[in-house]
Order: sequence, then structure tokens, then C-alpha cells
Amino acid sequence: MRRPQDIELEEKAMATISTLTSAFEGLSSMRIAQIKDQVVESQAFFADLWQMYSQLRVDQLFNYGRTAEAKVIEKELFIAITAEGGFSGDIDQRLISWMLKKYDPTKHDIVIVGHHGAMQLSQAGVSFKKYFKLPEKDANINVAPLIGYVQQYKSTSVFYQTYISLMVQDIKQIELHAAVQAAGKKVEEGDDIISERNYIFEPSSFAVVAHLERTMLEISLSQTILESKLAQYASRFRAMSAAKDLAQETHAHLHTEYNRAKRALNDQRLKEIISGMKLMRSRSA
Amino acid sequence: MAKRQDASTGQIVDDGQPAAEAPKEKLVDGKPVMSLKVYSPFHVYYNEEAFSLSAENATGPFDVLPHHHNFISLLTSCEMHVAAPSGNKRIRIAGGLLHVHQDTVRVFLDV
Repeated sequence: MRRPQDIELEEKAMATISTLTSAFEGLSSMRIAQIKDQVVESQAFFADLWQMYSQLRVDQLFNYGRTAEAKVIEKELFIAITAEGGFSGDIDQRLISWMLKKYDPTKHDIVIVGHHGAMQLSQAGVSFKKYFKLPEKDANINVAPLIGYVQQYKSTSVFYQTYISLMVQDIKQIELHAAVQAAGKKVEEGDDIISERNYIFEPSSFAVVAHLERTMLEISLSQTILESKLAQYASRFRAMSAAKDLAQETHAHLHTEYNRAKRALNDQRLKEIISGMKLMRSRSA
Repeated sequence: MAKRQDASTGQIVDDGQPAAEAPKEKLVDGKPVMSLKVYSPFHVYYNEEAFSLSAENATGPFDVLPHHHNFISLLTSCEMHVAAPSGNKRIRIAGGLLHVHQDTVRVFLDV
């Protein structure tokens, strides 16, 4: 049987692991709440922009914020948003495999966000146009470099992880233009028409429309990145919850084992004392 | 009843028609105010009434006061000045879009 001192040390280590996993679980939970609030705020901002855009009556001519003269690559751009690594489970692998099933090098180019996805594409021998690190912060994500790529291509699809609940995360593909239009449909249209007859535009109505389109694309893309991060935090929360449960279970088991070992040691000592007393008594008699 | 000046006599007379209601002007300390919101997708920097807003666009610096004409402008990097009943404020921006409509001013800051 193991010595109680050894078991006690192991029990203490397990209690530390349990406290740490509990703290990580709390952090993930806090981040999830923060991101959810940010998504709600950005949706309100998008709604105000879309209302103005729809009042300009150009929403059927969405042009990715490009100028009329801009040259367009006749391919579809795939953007995959993956984790930077660690605790992401198999969801990134599923995402990349799913994207590669649809990938045709003659029709598509890939831009990858997140080191984990970039590694998997390299292992699969698939080249990509550009790799971006997944932003560490959860607010004011600068997606302008990504939008620069989006504007060069005829169309863009984004592959990302979605948050369904704390226990369930899934993968999803959206066409960016359709996502902007779909988000716009949820917004109540303004009654007034905005035109050069009733408004002053500076520098011009075309520049304003291009700016609105670019900003709405940026918000839509930021939201997909935030949703991916939300799914990653949920996945981490799940992993930490499982680790905490296991640590607590092991801790309880070790505590019982420690008590048994201590009792066994006491019994052993008692037996030795009794047999010693018996021996002394027999000698004196 | 609405009053008008009679063209032949020059006298002020009631025309028997109910007077059209003019939009009510909002005053604070006797001065007209407008509603101002300055925000980005993830943060609201200002959301109160204001006496005036000063900012810059490609043409140069400009001011927006109550009763300003409907106006949409791209803003350049500048420090915006807000004169408000609660005190003056300065907000540094990298760029954005300004929308003025019926004494409601919204500044959408760049993402």
C-alpha cells in the first residue's frame, strides 16, 4: 500500500489542478459573455448603417465598396477562420476538410486566418494566398487587410466555426455578399429617400456608398471572426469543465485512499503495540 | 386660428384655418440643441444632446449646428469638438461617416 504522505502530496496537486481549471472555466465563461455583448452592439451599428444605405436605394447594386473601374479576379475567394492552436479540438480539422472538398485551384483562392488552419493546409499540401494571425483581442478587430483581398475577387465565401451553445459548436459557410444582404433584411427600412436632391454629400454620393459597403463588409467579417472566437471559447470552456470534473473526481478518490492508508498505518502500529505488550506480558509471567 | 396679413388692407386677420404646427425646437439654457451619437461597432463614445459639433472632412474643418441641412460626409482623421450642456468634449477619430438629418447627428466611426 502507498504511504499516506505520498497520497497527500498527490491530493494537494489535484486540488491545485481543480482550482486552475475552475479559474480557466470562469475566464472562458466571462469572455463568452463579453463577446455576446459586442456582437449585439455591432448588430445595432450595422442596422443604423444599413438603414441609411437602403434609403440611398442602391442596395440591389452592392459592389463590395469597389470603384466602377476596379479590376476583379474572376475567382471565388475562400476565407477560413481557424484557431491559433491548442484546446480547439477537431473542429478546425473538420472545417479545413470541408473547405478542401469544395476547393478547386482553378476556381478558388484561399486566405487563411489562424495558425492551426495554416498548419493543416500545409500538411495537406495546399497553398494559400495569405495567412493572417487570429486577432488576440476581442474588440476593434482590424479586418481592413482582409477586405482588401475581398474587394479583388468576384465573390467571397467564409468558412468559420459557429457557436450554438456551450456544449455544441458547428462549422458554417457563408457567401459574404449574401450575409450582408441577409443582415440588412432584418433591418426595418427607413421611409425617406436619401438623394442629392435633399442631401449634401461630401465628397460625393458614390464615395459615401463605397464607404458604407466597405464598412458593412468589415462588420460582417468581424462578426464571423467573433463568432469563431465564441465557438473556440465555448470549446475551451467545455474542455476545462471536463478537466475540472475529472480533477475533482480524482481528488475525492485520492482523499478516500489517503484516509484508508492512514487508518491502515494506525492499525499496523496498534497491532505492533499489542503484540509488543503481549510479548512483554509473556516474558514477565 | 392661423393669422395672415390681408393684401388689400395690410391688416392682420384670422383666416379661420387651424395653424400648421411648426416642429418644436429643443432648447437647453435658451440655446437650441441637437441629438448627437458618436459610436463604433463595439463602443459608444458619446450619446447626448449637443450645441454644436466641429470636425474635418476632405474639404477642411466644418461645424454642425442645430437646423443644419441634411448632410452626409466622410470624415478624415481629426479631433472632434463637441459643445454640450454637460460640458465640452474632444474625441480623436481616425475617420468615419457623419449623417445629419433633422437635428439628429450620427457619427459612425471607422472599424
